[in-house]
Amino acid sequence: MKRYTVTDGVVIKRHPLPSGDLVVTLLGRLGKWRAVARKGTLPGGNVGRLSLFHDVTVQFYRRKDEDLALLTQVQLNGALPALSGTGTYSYAHLLCELADALTVDVHLEARVYDYLTSGLRGLASHHDPELVALLYAWRLLGVAGLAPRVGACVACGAPGPLVALDVTAGGLTCDRDRSGLPLTAPEAEEVRLLVSGGMAEALAAAMPGRERHWQLLEAYVTYHVQELRSFAAARRAADPAGAHPTGADQGAGSAEPDARTGADASAPRAGAA
Amino acid sequence: MSVRFPSALLTLIRELGRLPGIGPKSAQRLAFYLFNRPEEEVRDLAEALIGAKTGLARCPVCFNVMSVGQECCAVCSDPRRDRGLLCVVEQPADLLAIERSGEFAGLYHVLHGALSPMNGVGPEQLTIDALGPRLAGLREVVLATSTTVEGEATAHYIARLLAPAGVSVSRIAYGLPVGGDLEYADEVTLGRAISNRRPV
Repeated sequence: MKRYTVTDGVVIKRHPLPSGDLVVTLLGRLGKWRAVARKGTLPGGNVGRLSLFHDVTVQFYRRKDEDLALLTQVQLNGALPALSGTGTYSYAHLLCELADALTVDVHLEARVYDYLTSGLRGLASHHDPELVALLYAWRLLGVAGLAPRVGACVACGAPGPLVALDVTAGGLTCDRDRSGLPLTAPEAEEVRLLVSGGMAEALAAAMPGRERHWQLLEAYVTYHVQELRSFAAARRAADPAGAHPTGADQGAGSAEPDARTGADASAPRAGAA
Repeated sequence: MSVRFPSALLTLIRELGRLPGIGPKSAQRLAFYLFNRPEEEVRDLAEALIGAKTGLARCPVCFNVMSVGQECCAVCSDPRRDRGLLCVVEQPADLLAIERSGEFAGLYHVLHGALSPMNGVGPEQLTIDALGPRLAGLREVVLATSTTVEGEATAHYIARLLAPAGVSVSRIAYGLPVGGDLEYADEVTLGRAISNRRPV
């Protein structure tokens, strides 16, 4: 039986133990799994590679019926130091927490990994990380089969005009079947863009009413997935008057924002984050 | 037919198993170890646990640990300390590590964690708010949070928060461990060491 496995994954959770061991949750094309890196928090070895949001190739060893794999080798494929910046950190947490909630240990859906790594790259490089976070949160829901119906009324199938988001019914509703959270016409169009529009088109949109979009996303995720703790920080990061600053600071070692790279690709690229 | 341990032993195993880094097997081993030790030894351990819980508190100034009944911790009450320097650390253990280095003679501020939104840790859960009143008279604030993403984010957040106060804010250097070979260093550490190189 094959006990050693080599695969790629992105570190979506870290839990250091007092013994110096590090338990990490990785999401890759083989699914999501937890692994322990012996002495992983001590200087030297794998301590730098197994940081949050890093894309790594790992060799791990797992006995049959054992929950926790043992990491034996780690190779760094891509680090995104910009994600520790105040303008991106909360959003990166949100995407990782959402991806974690959408996948289970035996989930074999590689697209969640592709979208997550693409989203993290976008957060690190795009000039508007908040919009990237909103877009990729909706797209992750879509990959998991939980996207709301936005092309027509979820109740009667009428093409429009769509005036509300019915969270429990899972889609937009028309004026006749109006239920749920009310939307203005531009907001409804923005929701459609975020959920099913072209990625480049969505990222080029201004979307001035961000607060409303966070409300919609949070209500939808809370009902269809679970309550995410990162929403509180994401809301704070999105609020210019809030305690958590946003904007220019993209973290140590970050490059100038480049709208041509990262999340403005029309489709997410797999691979290194 | 399976044999069950006595309830007192099960309770001890369960409580030991709640400690960080202790799994069910380790908890069982520790429980049997304690069972086989002399009673006074076990009593000393129990009294030490209770004593630590009831006899320790957080320093109201820097949030380091101190004995109950003291006004502030040993560092804050030391008159020889440089009061123009403040070092921000995540945990009291980090403070002790810096003290052992013998390179820092200023004051400390213990955050008791780092920002981690997915774990529900925001600025309110840390002692960041208490930093503001301590800025008067400071020359420099040294951010010595961990070099993890969480520690970096916390350092960025504090640096942004302190910027309007006009105090010089610095971050501890990144680099290689003393005595370590370059070829065994991971790429991130090595990259940071090169990008933060200094003239000699």
